[in-house]
Amino acid sequence: MSSFFLKLIATDKVYYQGRVRSVVLPETDGQHEILAHHENLIMAVKGGWVKFQKEGEDTWEEVIVGCGMAQVANNRVMVLVETAESPEEIDVRRASEAKERAEEQLRQDQSIREYYHTQASLARAMERLKASNKNL
Amino acid sequence: MASTKEIKDRMKSINDTLKITNAMYMISSSKLKKARKRLEDTEPYFFSLQGTMERILRHVPDIKNIYFDNYNDLRPEVKTVAYVVVTADKGLAGAYNHNVLKQAEELMKEADEPRLYVLGELGRHYFEKRNIHIDQQFHYTVQNPSLSRARRITEQLLDEYAQGKLDEVYMIYTRMDNAVTETTVTQKILPLERGKFDMKLPAGVTLENMNFSPSPEAVMDTIVPNYVTGFVYGALVESFASEQNARMMAMETATKSAKNMLHDLDILYNRARQAAITQEITEVIAGAKAQKNKK
Repeated sequence: MSSFFLKLIATDKVYYQGRVRSVVLPETDGQHEILAHHENLIMAVKGGWVKFQKEGEDTWEEVIVGCGMAQVANNRVMVLVETAESPEEIDVRRASEAKERAEEQLRQDQSIREYYHTQASLARAMERLKASNKNL
Repeated sequence: MASTKEIKDRMKSINDTLKITNAMYMISSSKLKKARKRLEDTEPYFFSLQGTMERILRHVPDIKNIYFDNYNDLRPEVKTVAYVVVTADKGLAGAYNHNVLKQAEELMKEADEPRLYVLGELGRHYFEKRNIHIDQQFHYTVQNPSLSRARRITEQLLDEYAQGKLDEVYMIYTRMDNAVTETTVTQKILPLERGKFDMKLPAGVTLENMNFSPSPEAVMDTIVPNYVTGFVYGALVESFASEQNARMMAMETATKSAKNMLHDLDILYNRARQAAITQEITEVIAGAKAQKNKK
């Protein structure tokens, strides 16, 4: 099976770079799988799961990412996201605290900007919690 | 020649200052270690982000989007230009703050209607003292930059940009080139300039085809806020590392020159002491001689 080069970069580290057979990215309207020789593409990545299959392996590696973008060009995929964590790295307590905090703030009066801000933090916390539950 | 006591006092005061500069040197060098680690972690993202954005701007079809410069014909004649200035919270960092502030002042002269968003306590005081209006709500520290702080900064900037309060946004920060050189950089964050990339393309070269999923407009709407957040974060990390580096070097120089001064004063002190002894001996001998002659 042919492979292609994937580079997954978060703000604080280069999470993965190497050849993979397939990568699944979360998009605003669903999942998007990219295989080798995909057409050139630029897409927005929503916070959620990224799955990829390394060359010569059958297992899927899973990563929880924040929002960002992905670029497919000349059989190379570059994914730039705010955060990237493996399910083991997620701090459940911190995530649930963040969720509680966000929910509490949503109940109070806020400006539109604050509202968007809390909604975004809530979404991030939920995504992390979902990921850690799946792992258990 | 100064008296030995004066020299001793002087040496003591220099010694006290030396202790402070030396301590500050040690603090900033340990902070620098942390900052540099973070900078190393962030640099791949920061540079890839800028590279990717450039590539996207080269390929994006002709769409009207609020984040693009062709949107400008809808904007007023007099442009409100925002400058996000990144300074340190404290001074004693060599030319670090000075360079940033100088660049900011120069740029402000050219703008129709400049607005200042200052990060860092020192920069805020500087502009307040000169009675230059700065945004008071914009109150963030530059210590230990975090992604959530970058997000909040971006939210505020994008919000005001979308409301039409700001027409252009620039960021003035310091980039760390290597351990000894730092450059003050001004980067336009918004609106994105697409036009300038069309010019660079040599004749006969066709652009590769790029598709956008689901649509260019939707992609730009989600990507641009992320890009700005990423850029702000990267710039904050670069600035923080530069600040620590500048302070470390400034304190190193201060410690070195204090040591030089101490050395010079030491010689001066020895001379003064020797002169005093010689004088005393001369006096004693002269006195003894006078006594002898009396007999």
